[in-house]
Amino acid sequence: MNPGSQPIKSRRWRYGDFLRRALFLTALGAITGAANAACPPATTDGTTITRGEITLAWRPLQVDAFLKSGRIPMARHFALEVQLCDKNGVSTAQLVKADASMPAHKHGMNYRPTIKPLGNGRFRVDGMMFHMAGQWQLAFEVQAGKEITRLTHDVQAD
Amino acid sequence: MTFRRTEHHRSRRVLATLLFLVAPAAAAEPDGFSASELERIASHGPWPTEWLRDAGNRVSANPAAIHLGQRLFFEPRLSANGRVACATCHDPARGFQDGRTTARGLVDGTRNTPGLLNVRHQRWFGWDGGHDNLWSASLRPILDRGEMSGSAARTATLLRGSATLACQYRKAFGKAPAATDPELLVNVAKAIAAWQETLVSPPTPFDRFRDALERKDLAAAALYPAAAQRGLKIFLGRGQCSTCHAGPLFTNGEFGDIGVPFFIKPTGVDPGRQGGVKRLLASPYNLLGTHNDDATRRNATGTQYLRPEHRNFGEFKVPTLRNLTLTAPYMHNGTLATLRDVVRHYSELDEDRLHADGERILKPLNLSEAESADLVAFLESLSPDAAPPAPAKPPAVAACR
Repeated sequence: MNPGSQPIKSRRWRYGDFLRRALFLTALGAITGAANAACPPATTDGTTITRGEITLAWRPLQVDAFLKSGRIPMARHFALEVQLCDKNGVSTAQLVKADASMPAHKHGMNYRPTIKPLGNGRFRVDGMMFHMAGQWQLAFEVQAGKEITRLTHDVQAD
Repeated sequence: MTFRRTEHHRSRRVLATLLFLVAPAAAAEPDGFSASELERIASHGPWPTEWLRDAGNRVSANPAAIHLGQRLFFEPRLSANGRVACATCHDPARGFQDGRTTARGLVDGTRNTPGLLNVRHQRWFGWDGGHDNLWSASLRPILDRGEMSGSAARTATLLRGSATLACQYRKAFGKAPAATDPELLVNVAKAIAAWQETLVSPPTPFDRFRDALERKDLAAAALYPAAAQRGLKIFLGRGQCSTCHAGPLFTNGEFGDIGVPFFIKPTGVDPGRQGGVKRLLASPYNLLGTHNDDATRRNATGTQYLRPEHRNFGEFKVPTLRNLTLTAPYMHNGTLATLRDVVRHYSELDEDRLHADGERILKPLNLSEAESADLVAFLESLSPDAAPPAPAKPPAVAACR
């Protein structure tokens, strides 16, 4: 064996070990994150809206170095985390649309958000921005089977 | 649901009352500001506001690149006829604007030259937002046939022909300027952008007023002219100006149709934001492309989620209101000569010119002469009250040999 190869091999093993640990921790985080899905939603899940059997909780997430609190800053991109619940607990319904508009201004956002399922009734919405000060209306569409439920919530941005 | 902080409301309500009671007669009886108004006044500062270096430009805040960028900004040999530099239209003495109705490079343009002070804070660049980063916005005029009509070959020759420029390029980018390097022009634009990032305007009378209110220094706050205070109340209230002209930069960084005609003589039309979105998405220099130095692409969020809308036709960028006294004339086509003309535009707004599917809160303000003068006084207070600021000296770097 090349005497110089052993340390290199060890480093590679340590690197592989590090990757395996990182993957394990990531998986653990995802599992516990899903296990943390709270139904009915907890206060930390944010604002709650109920319509019919669906209860939706949403909260803004930090996606910007300038977003330093739970407050949605005007004219900056932000993301939302959404939790869906129903009478049985965590809902199997899907969040199929998330958007926002200014009813008094008759226009919506300048950006089209995307929705990513996180599992266990949780979703992440990216690409949101309230580009003007004033009253915004968040609108969510939740699909359970063929039925679509629309939930809205007014938000003051300033 | 509201995100307002009630504690701040309470203290500001008290402050509003105190300001009204304590302000001396010389301040001409400020009407006093409500707690909500005080909170919104606070949101227009502090100034200068926080800035993070551009992750998409690896030489952002790099001293060697700033030096190189400054030299190139004033360098007419980048242009085809050797007479047009960036500074030809972006004159430092005029807030990096040119004072003309529309720009003139190699030929006459169709839009007013935007000023460059505080340009580092922008999300979109140009009146139509056709660029999502400062370096691509700096590259376009160099190549544009109507502006400088430069080329990679011309730029490489210029850089290699000057020992100082070649050395500064090498220091900034770690390699010699080669004509065959496809990154050469992008690097030059990134250096010019790095210098423009240093162009920050100083605090204004409004900033001093805002800061005095924040530290509850009523005597200092009362030094702010009464006419500007009345104008500020119109700006925040009846005028609803701060709906779009928000934050420390007095802009939301987005686009709007305010009824300024978009026809270009003799028969053309300026599509505004609609054309800008198309140009942006087709550009190899946008933040979704390979020239973006931010591997995470977090800085590309705006471009990634952009939603083109029919109403974008005829929309133009909401400009910053800082340094307006340096950057007349106004609007995307430079058709309004003075701030009084701008205020009159909003006071007598022609609603028939607005989009059917556009902004509904725009209504004629029907301001009196006195109210118009107050609003102008407020707008003027958003500019430095001394001479135009000289560009900051670039940071020191080791001499090039």
